[in-house]
Amino acid sequence: MALTKKLFKNIANKLVELKDTSELMMDLAYSSVLLNSRELAEEVQELEEHVDNLHTEFELLVLSSGFKPEESKDFLGLIRLGVVAERIADAAAEISEVVLRGLEPHPVLKLVIEEAEETVTRVQVAKKSSLVGKNLRDAQLPEETGMWVLAIRRGKKWLRPQPSSIVKAGDLLIASGYTEGEEDLRKLASGEAVLTG
Amino acid sequence: MVHLEKIEYKPMPVRDLLVEMKDISELMIDLAYSAALFHSRELAEEVLELEKRVDTLAYILEMNAMLAARDAEDAEALVGVYAVAAAADKISDAAADIAGIVLREIGVHPIVREAFQRVEERLARAEVDHSSILVGQRLGELELAAKIGVDIIAIRRKGEWIINPEGNESINEGDILIARGAPLGIEELSGLAGGTIQKLEG
Repeated sequence: MALTKKLFKNIANKLVELKDTSELMMDLAYSSVLLNSRELAEEVQELEEHVDNLHTEFELLVLSSGFKPEESKDFLGLIRLGVVAERIADAAAEISEVVLRGLEPHPVLKLVIEEAEETVTRVQVAKKSSLVGKNLRDAQLPEETGMWVLAIRRGKKWLRPQPSSIVKAGDLLIASGYTEGEEDLRKLASGEAVLTG
Repeated sequence: MVHLEKIEYKPMPVRDLLVEMKDISELMIDLAYSAALFHSRELAEEVLELEKRVDTLAYILEMNAMLAARDAEDAEALVGVYAVAAAADKISDAAADIAGIVLREIGVHPIVREAFQRVEERLARAEVDHSSILVGQRLGELELAAKIGVDIIAIRRKGEWIINPEGNESINEGDILIARGAPLGIEELSGLAGGTIQKLEG
């Protein structure tokens, strides 16, 4: 039986979600250590559970796809890519555990923050914010504020931002960038300032 | 026979070691996926070289951390640093596994590769056209990271790879750039390299 287009799309989408989530976890995990934020660390742990589930669903989809013997190498490659994403997620979870175990951040880690000159912030998008209804491409946050959106938390779902992602009221934006931009982003999200672009 | 670099203690600041491990391991992930997406065995081999580097750094970091601990309090503070370093090492191992998929020609189904390329806009491969304004410019002067949020992670030039190029590296006609960054910036870089965009906005 040839693989249907629909099944193939499902497998591809799951793999992309696995990869994106695991990389997002890395960013968030380092951020949690550098900022000594339990909250971010807990979010990494939640994502780790999410990745475990995704990974199982992904493997089941691949295994039940009815591939032909001559296709088995390609499908092995798929399974292995899934394992890699899962391992990256594990590593990220281990980084966040440093925070959750209450280890006082070593001064070395603080020096690393200073070298990176970057900060991580989280802002909630108010109903009256000029960001509401805009996609990230048009909002041009990096140009406006120097902050990059790492993740969008909408309800219980984590979204990896794409240029076409539309900002909604109530979204929680996790962003990184230069400290100077933090206030600008907060004002845009709360509606105290409007987009100039 | 496997040749592994002999490990010798070198006094090095734990901070520098950790920063390098973190930076390399993240670079490796992007390079490894690039190797898979763009069918490059050479790039996959570079990833394996970087993996050896991270292993060596991990040993040196561990030794320096051991020597830095004088009492229980130091040990408690340093164990967190060590955990972060171990995770960076694990991430680099995972990247090496992706490189292994490429090198052993296990393969990724072509349709999935297409899907990946469509969705994954953080990585790009761009060839520098003779009409590109990038030709002859140094990376340090272009300030691509500050201006368009894009980082050149590797350059392929005359059959050689330059991994994580320095600021004094200039871009030549015919270079193949592997870049990572914000999707908008990635689009812009492709235009700049191809010559369809003739101005780099500050």
